[in-house]
Amino acid sequence: MIALKALSKNKFKSLLIFSSITIAVMAIFLISAVSQGIIGMYSKMIKTDGDIIVTQKGIADTFFSNVDIKLLEKISNIDGVKSSYGMIVGASPIAHIPIAGVYGTTKNHLAHYNILNGNYPELGEVLLGSNLANQIKQDKVKIGSKSFKVSGNFHSSVGFEDGGVVMNIEDAGKLFSRSASFLLVSIDKGKNVDSIVNKILKFNNDIEVKTTKNFIKEYNQFKIIENSSLVISSLAFAMGLMGIASVMSMIVNSRKEEFGIMRALGKSRVFIIKNLFFETLIMSLTAYLFALVLSLIVLMILPNIEILQGYVSGSLSVEIIVYVLISTIFMSLLGSLIPAWIASKTDPILLINQGCS
Amino acid sequence: MIKATNISHFYGDDYILHNIEIEIKKGEFVFLSGDSGSGKSTLLSILSTLLKPSRGNLIIDSNNLDSIKNLDIFRQENIGFVFQFHYLINYLNIYDNIALACLDTKKENIEKLLEKLNISDLALRFPNEISGGQRQRVAMARALVNDPKTIFADEPTGSLDSKNSVIVYELLSLAMRNGTTVIVASHDMKIEKYATKTIRLVDGKIQ
Repeated sequence: MIALKALSKNKFKSLLIFSSITIAVMAIFLISAVSQGIIGMYSKMIKTDGDIIVTQKGIADTFFSNVDIKLLEKISNIDGVKSSYGMIVGASPIAHIPIAGVYGTTKNHLAHYNILNGNYPELGEVLLGSNLANQIKQDKVKIGSKSFKVSGNFHSSVGFEDGGVVMNIEDAGKLFSRSASFLLVSIDKGKNVDSIVNKILKFNNDIEVKTTKNFIKEYNQFKIIENSSLVISSLAFAMGLMGIASVMSMIVNSRKEEFGIMRALGKSRVFIIKNLFFETLIMSLTAYLFALVLSLIVLMILPNIEILQGYVSGSLSVEIIVYVLISTIFMSLLGSLIPAWIASKTDPILLINQGCS
Repeated sequence: MIKATNISHFYGDDYILHNIEIEIKKGEFVFLSGDSGSGKSTLLSILSTLLKPSRGNLIIDSNNLDSIKNLDIFRQENIGFVFQFHYLINYLNIYDNIALACLDTKKENIEKLLEKLNISDLALRFPNEISGGQRQRVAMARALVNDPKTIFADEPTGSLDSKNSVIVYELLSLAMRNGTTVIVASHDMKIEKYATKTIRLVDGKIQ
């Protein structure tokens, strides 16, 4: 096959195109995956803890939400409520780490974490996430203006949690001046979630009650992350794909002499375009697969890089994988076949002369 | 038979060829001579269908150029080319370079020509692995592989030493003796002794 011979003989050129496509595709994959990863981690944190979430009314972010923790008692008395928890989420410098997640939690919520050693932290105590514990080898840590004793460690598959600390909700309340950031409610199987939501809503006019599913769907922060990720990945996507198209276009233009010779020898436009089509297809598919494997390796390594505290992780959805595949092939072909088609319509001797100049 | 009537070619206001009238009979060896810039290469490109003239009419074996539906196939079946710089495809070996131009019905010619031109042992080498003289012999084999009615050669000895130049002239002469029309554009006057007709171009006009 002429396409394979052309690729293998022009190794340097082939390597250049291959590298350009690989880097462009990797950039698209990683930007999309990391932004999706951030949303995924936070969603997982909330979704695994309950069916209903109670936050302060009209608050854009749970970081600023303040809900009366005393509501937990009333909520737990509603028929069909299995359990309810209170949480405070915040962030603070911890020891030499510039910023880490701080989670104040009620005792009955501790089962959420995989406790490696220690118990529910008493006042003045904290449990360190395993990622954070690897970076802080101290018995005491300073959070805000207060010093806390490290009473144990936990592990969480959510990077934000694994790189943070868990403390008594009372301590967290003093630290962040609130009663609870939100309350999470689990209900018995088969119970009507909407009816329970309505019952909770009646307890207080300053609260917003949603199913965790709806909360995640409507959460403003996610929308911001999603929108900015969409803009960034679209730009990366456009840049990457334009890069692919322009590299292919330059390569085709540098081969005008060859096309001119082929036309002079009686080879048809279809023959030239068909061979270029296969060359591009082989190249872009190989580069795409290589980029996919590299991206998956990078995504596996990212959560284990200590300095990133496990906060940066990502996953690739099948939709992204398929979408990028189609786009890569489309842009590679567009970048090579359009100039090839234009070249094929030029008089052969002009192509030969243009190639020589 | 090739008949060019009132052929002119220009780029903007710059005329390369002016009202050329030529008739070349089957089996002739035509030498297009002239200084650099005289228009001989442009005329050769037009006569060989590689370039459409700005004006004029070209008839090849009673086919008007404009009436030929598929010029690519027409070229492959009827015309052989030899260029000054060989123009072999660098990623194809010698055999594949010749095969690239070859019609399916003429495949047996490849081996014969490789032997006849004494380049059989180069068949699996690549163009950058052989000498200039050998490359031009490969280009000759590629031009002859389909038993073309006409061979067009543009400065075929321009990059060769005198010994290799003679080999090329002899091969072109042999093709002519076998009934092929040969048209050569060159400023090497040594070729004149092989030609049956010489056409001299000066500033885009036949002198």
